[in-house]
Amino acid sequence: MPKLTIDGRPLEVPPGTNLIEAARRLGIEIPHYCYHPALSIAGQCRLCVVDIEKVPRPQVACNTVVAEGMVVHTETERVLETRKSIMEFHLINHPLDCPVCDQAGECWLQIYYMKHGLYDPRMVDEKVHKPKAVPLGPHVILDAERCILCSRCVRFCDEVTGTSELGIFHRGDRSEIGLFPGQELANKYSGNVVDICPVGALTDRDFRFQVRVWYLDTQKSICPGCARGCNIEVHVSRRRVHHAEGRRVVRLKPRFNEAVNKWWICDAGRYGSAFVDGDTRLQAPARRDGEKTLEVAWTEMIPLAAGRLRGYRADEIGILASPKLSNEDLFLLRRLCDALGVGAVDYRVPPARPGDEDDFLIRADKNANTRGAELVGLGGADSRAILAAARERRVKCLWIFCHDLLASAWPEGEVLDGLLGAETVIFQGTNANPTSAYAHLVLPAAAYPEREGTWTNFEGRVQRFRQALPPLGRALPDWEILGRLLQEVQGAPRPARAEDCFRDLAATVPAFAGMSYRSIGDAGQLVQTARP
Amino acid sequence: MTPSRPQFTPEQQAEVRRLQGLYPDPQGALLPVLHLAQDVFGYISEEVEEYVAGLFGLAPAHVHEVVTFYTMYFREPKGRHIVSVCHNLSCHLAGAPGILDHLRRRLGIEPGGTTDDGRVTLLAVECLCACEMAPMLQVDDRYEGNLTPETVDRLIDQLQ
Repeated sequence: MPKLTIDGRPLEVPPGTNLIEAARRLGIEIPHYCYHPALSIAGQCRLCVVDIEKVPRPQVACNTVVAEGMVVHTETERVLETRKSIMEFHLINHPLDCPVCDQAGECWLQIYYMKHGLYDPRMVDEKVHKPKAVPLGPHVILDAERCILCSRCVRFCDEVTGTSELGIFHRGDRSEIGLFPGQELANKYSGNVVDICPVGALTDRDFRFQVRVWYLDTQKSICPGCARGCNIEVHVSRRRVHHAEGRRVVRLKPRFNEAVNKWWICDAGRYGSAFVDGDTRLQAPARRDGEKTLEVAWTEMIPLAAGRLRGYRADEIGILASPKLSNEDLFLLRRLCDALGVGAVDYRVPPARPGDEDDFLIRADKNANTRGAELVGLGGADSRAILAAARERRVKCLWIFCHDLLASAWPEGEVLDGLLGAETVIFQGTNANPTSAYAHLVLPAAAYPEREGTWTNFEGRVQRFRQALPPLGRALPDWEILGRLLQEVQGAPRPARAEDCFRDLAATVPAFAGMSYRSIGDAGQLVQTARP
Repeated sequence: MTPSRPQFTPEQQAEVRRLQGLYPDPQGALLPVLHLAQDVFGYISEEVEEYVAGLFGLAPAHVHEVVTFYTMYFREPKGRHIVSVCHNLSCHLAGAPGILDHLRRRLGIEPGGTTDDGRVTLLAVECLCACEMAPMLQVDDRYEGNLTPETVDRLIDQLQ
């Protein structure tokens, strides 16, 4: 492997490594706009210039690969001067409309100007004006004036999605990013161009003008949208609640994970968080009495629900668990089923239409934890048979998690007969749906950004999602509800944290043996059966 | 006029393949093929861009990049004759602004425009490498120099 020296520090990196990546290993950040590790080298922005000994002129670090004995300087006077000049070039026609620009606060023009620019502008000519606020597609909006023509978005559409909607048209100071006339940027991953745009040229139609980015808090999480389990960051607005019309989760951003989603997420996942702050959120435990629905306290609901569960014979209870529940939830549910002796448990409810799938990230299974539900070893019954048993009055207590059975592949009449056939229908979930309207007892659950937990993706990777927000209203995490019920039924001490549930799970279920929240970390960990 | 769905004749398609064979990467033939398309279809419409993109297996957006980058591809119908007046340094000093003004008045159009009868498209262009005959212009593929308003009038009169 080539040995080289960067800023006086020796290092050894694999051949073919470029100087930006090599410097990064030493913690040296070489400023750049157009370079992105996932995309081809464009050499467009020229900001990443460095001095290399025995080379007469500064070279771009992105397009220079390491060589044996190379001696690189990233902070010489000439490099600093060159960066400053290049910043000046980039800002010649930039509108400097930061006060009304959604990128402000996370804009690399701002960041690098403060770090590497700080010159007195010399331009006296009027700036070139270009189209502003042009919608490119359902999610992305373009401000051509702010664009520095780094071409990352163009390369993303060429190289990652292969859809090639974007191009750089015209030339010189009139060059601008655009779509081929009549096309729109509507591929399933279009939101990623907003992430990789280093400036305010491409912004998010859903997020823009909602809240300034410096008021956001972030938390590591996992996308619940499908069995891939893309790593994400949840961005929440808690300090300026009046800014985003009550939305607390204002946006999701991909979080790099080499083994799962790299730098990307799909649009369905990115814009799929509205349910967390949606109008249909269940916020208080409720009991339906004839036509009336009464809100009750948890201290009343837990004994009530436990009483119903104990009031029936074990074979009169049917449970439709959900593959959207976390491993912790499912494990506690398994313990509760064991305590009650309930065998009629399943988590599989077929969707009305098969989910879309592609050969990149999107999986047809729109549940985050189907693999986890399999591995935790819940029940073994058949969900449709459980519903049929309710219809035939053999199952008298039907406990449904999350599912909207009326939106499933099952015939509506069959579902309604089942829901009406059961004496007691318990619904536990985050949001109301047509099925929950038939519930006698409603247990409101915290949504994933409101709690901790783990999901197991389709490859068997157990991944942690963390709490970014307090639960809405009086909702509780599923594991907490189940823990309280277990305590009520069995008198066992209940877990204080999700991590306690996971510890028990790891100690009980072989697939999870030896795992802990610490070992899962930020990158996830494969279950035993999936390890090579 | 460009037909709604542009299509090269078999001979023209053979020419496209010949041009593509001249370059290590067939994409190198994009410029000459676009010129061929312009000769055949009159100008490079978006439909022509899509058609040419198909011949190269490229995205239409990338052909559009090339067409908008270069000045000698016409994206709108042009006149039967192209009159390109040099307005670069030598010609400017030798009186090009007066020549251009004369043409503006004579034809009743601005540079970039085409006369209503479709006879002439007027352009103001950069140096055509004929400073020795400044002020000069190009009519189609012919250079005319040492212009005066009178010689320009005679030239325009000859155009059909």
